[in-house]
Amino acid sequence: MTLPAPSSSTPPRGHAFLELGERLRRRGQLDAAATVTAAGLVHYPDLAAAHDLLGRIRADQHDDVAATSAWNVALECDHGHVGARKGLAFLAFRIGDIAAAERHLESAVLAAPHDPEITSALDRVRGSIAASSTGPVLLDDPSGGIMVFDRDGMRLIGGVGPDASDAVADAVAAECAAVVREAARTTRLLHLGTWHQVIVEGPDARSALFPVSDDAALLLVRGATTPVGRVVAAGHRATATAREWLARMT
Amino acid sequence: MTHTPWQQLLDSATAVPGVRGAVLVSVDDGLVIAESAMDHLATADVAALASAIVQRACRVSAAAGHRTPHSVRVSGEAGTLMAFAADGLLWLVAVADPSAELGRLRLLLGDLAASLRG
Repeated sequence: MTLPAPSSSTPPRGHAFLELGERLRRRGQLDAAATVTAAGLVHYPDLAAAHDLLGRIRADQHDDVAATSAWNVALECDHGHVGARKGLAFLAFRIGDIAAAERHLESAVLAAPHDPEITSALDRVRGSIAASSTGPVLLDDPSGGIMVFDRDGMRLIGGVGPDASDAVADAVAAECAAVVREAARTTRLLHLGTWHQVIVEGPDARSALFPVSDDAALLLVRGATTPVGRVVAAGHRATATAREWLARMT
Repeated sequence: MTHTPWQQLLDSATAVPGVRGAVLVSVDDGLVIAESAMDHLATADVAALASAIVQRACRVSAAAGHRTPHSVRVSGEAGTLMAFAADGLLWLVAVADPSAELGRLRLLLGDLAASLRG
């Protein structure tokens, strides 16, 4: 796993220091890059991209503590900031905390489901889990999807895999909302309590639905060989992240 | 397959601790084909509701470009409904308490559904 590239190469107007700082970082002039970025942050303290850049500079300087701090601030400014998630995943991977790396990348996938850099990084991280395992472990399908949708079947974020278009994801979200309604009706009428998950297994995929709030639910799609327990565990983790994201959005 | 072997299969599912009942359902019309259940379980309701959610789950799979699913599980705080594709439009459905061993039940129902196909 390598240090992530910046999320955008064209900073908005007034944020030219980002471009300069990134150029200096790439040239290896790390102190100068840090000075420029810190000066920019004085004017734009809530700019997640600037904290993300500072994180990358600190990571290049092998100051993992400062890099972590910068990326955490970036996430405070923008909870869904993909660059910060990737950066934190990189640091976690570097120190061997594979689970944390995977968690950050899963959060990044939620924000940018079609980003091939994230999915390939997730693939590499999971590949390292397989390499370090003593037993046969069937890993998640890196082409799996994750999506949050509202009670009307409108997609809020995510998709159903990098190979699926937004139109497909929208169609799946619309159908999933009907499944959620049926699940709620089924558990209510059969006295099974409040629904908390629906799992669908088929020859091509294993999918799971979880309630995120009264008005939203999450769909997780994994390959048919992914163990069901792992689908559920990943779904619970993603649901917790989705709840945080939704709370910040509303 | 005659009703007697069906009944034996359903009875073996219901014998699992925590299982309230097992029903063979025609998901096309939501009707009960055969059943083995405790008295308080409304098997007609189970059949209708299971059929509805199976059909919806099939539509999700179709929208995603996936083939038809072979099992659907709905879990609530007070129990779980499991449905497995048996033969054509017949699905084997079980309702279980939270105390049931769901992993074991999942495997058993999968095997029973497969035997119905055979």
